[in-house]
Amino acid sequence: MSSKKLLVITNVSLLLVVALLALIFFEVQLIPLGKATATLKEEASCQVEWHGEVNEFLNLDQCCLEARKQLSCEQQERWVCQTGQGEVLKYQLNEAAYEYCQRQRIWR
Amino acid sequence: MSKTEDLAMRKIKFKRSGKEKSSVKSKSRRWNVQEKIFLFLVVVILILGSLNIVKAKGWLIPESKDFFVQGKTVDLSQMPLEKKIAQMIIVHGSTWNEGAWKRLGVGGIHLFALANADIYKEIIQGYQKRSTIPLLVSADFEGCLNPFSNFHQSTAVSEINTHEEAFNKGKEDGKFMKGLGFTLNFAPVVDLEDEIWKCRSFPGDEKEVSELAEAYILGLQEAKIISTAKHYPGGTLVGNDPHKQLVTATIKEQDLYPYQQLIGSEVIDSIMVSHLITNGAVNSEGYPSVASEDVVGALKGEFNGLVISDEIQMAGLRDFYDTLDEMYLAVFKSGNDLILNFDEDPLEVYRMVKVVEEAVQRGEISEERIDNSVRKILTVKGLVVE
Repeated sequence: MSSKKLLVITNVSLLLVVALLALIFFEVQLIPLGKATATLKEEASCQVEWHGEVNEFLNLDQCCLEARKQLSCEQQERWVCQTGQGEVLKYQLNEAAYEYCQRQRIWR
Repeated sequence: MSKTEDLAMRKIKFKRSGKEKSSVKSKSRRWNVQEKIFLFLVVVILILGSLNIVKAKGWLIPESKDFFVQGKTVDLSQMPLEKKIAQMIIVHGSTWNEGAWKRLGVGGIHLFALANADIYKEIIQGYQKRSTIPLLVSADFEGCLNPFSNFHQSTAVSEINTHEEAFNKGKEDGKFMKGLGFTLNFAPVVDLEDEIWKCRSFPGDEKEVSELAEAYILGLQEAKIISTAKHYPGGTLVGNDPHKQLVTATIKEQDLYPYQQLIGSEVIDSIMVSHLITNGAVNSEGYPSVASEDVVGALKGEFNGLVISDEIQMAGLRDFYDTLDEMYLAVFKSGNDLILNFDEDPLEVYRMVKVVEEAVQRGEISEERIDNSVRKILTVKGLVVE
């Protein structure tokens, strides 16, 4: 590949980086926050597990906040957010719920 | 060759070599279009990158001298309005935003789960060391909701049955928090039903819940930790419609009983108000409770302690308003003393302060109302307010 072609490719890549940085700086949101669930393919679902008992957590916003407060979130069958090991409180989020949570201001 | 001829030859050679060098230089300066674009893009990336860092770090927030603080005394009349409003905010105490929160002069930090006790101590000490006015440092340490569960276990309040157990739990929890540097616990929960976690409410009816909560609060207070009864006016820990971001609840007299008891016995330090739209015994008239002047106003009529908003960045509350500015004004106008805002962008929190400041300047919110809240906050922090 000639050095001229290489420079053209580099410039196109740099242009993309510039666009990305500009989007971040001007806080351009491609999907409006808070309405992002409408674009998700599956229904968002969050569950709370305490001592083996699993219950649906229907208030997704509250779920996001509580999951955000945990030490870590790991992807297993669902995203599991918890602090410590053993019989600790766990928040289980499906992919749609986890994606939704990550778009919230508290998670950025 | 004579000396003069030799010198002349050397001069000629020197001039030629100089010309050759400058000709090479001028050739190298002839950049083609792609090279010019490359250079331009690199410069733009450097500028935009730097601006993003400055913005993210909150370096655009102006710093001011805290001249209104003399030792443990605060002269409220000398305290700038911007600083007063900032004192009414509790933010997420992340390490990357420490400088920004310090410049802003926020009233407190809330910490999420961290790996070990040393990290908590280091963060809290770091924040407090660099703050002229001490910060409120809070956590949600309830029992099963336990940010310290990576290194410290705690009994769920659903397993507490006697006054003695409740008091001891409060004392132990408080002592543990104090040891890490915390000053404020967003506990106990006095919601009567917990259909979601099944571990956050004390067992029993409204009377038992009230008594156990009171004993727990006394235990916390013995360890010098500020307590918070939540979530006023009740009904927050029940299943809700997943298709509604902001949920409603019918409040019964029983739901209010714990608050009436704790306020009546003058035990409780602060009360947290939820986002629920309520009807029944407490009617928020279609507004989220936290933003309802009727709900918060009535509560403040009975209760002299701190009224704290639940976290305001949840989309449910945000989407109730057309703009963030409207929401900011609503939660300040309704009368909350402390506002929890866990937005990770310091510039947005600074913007909230400016929005409220402008509302005060145009008379939409009275400065007296701000002063009353700030006076309460500073007093709770152990400062003398003049």
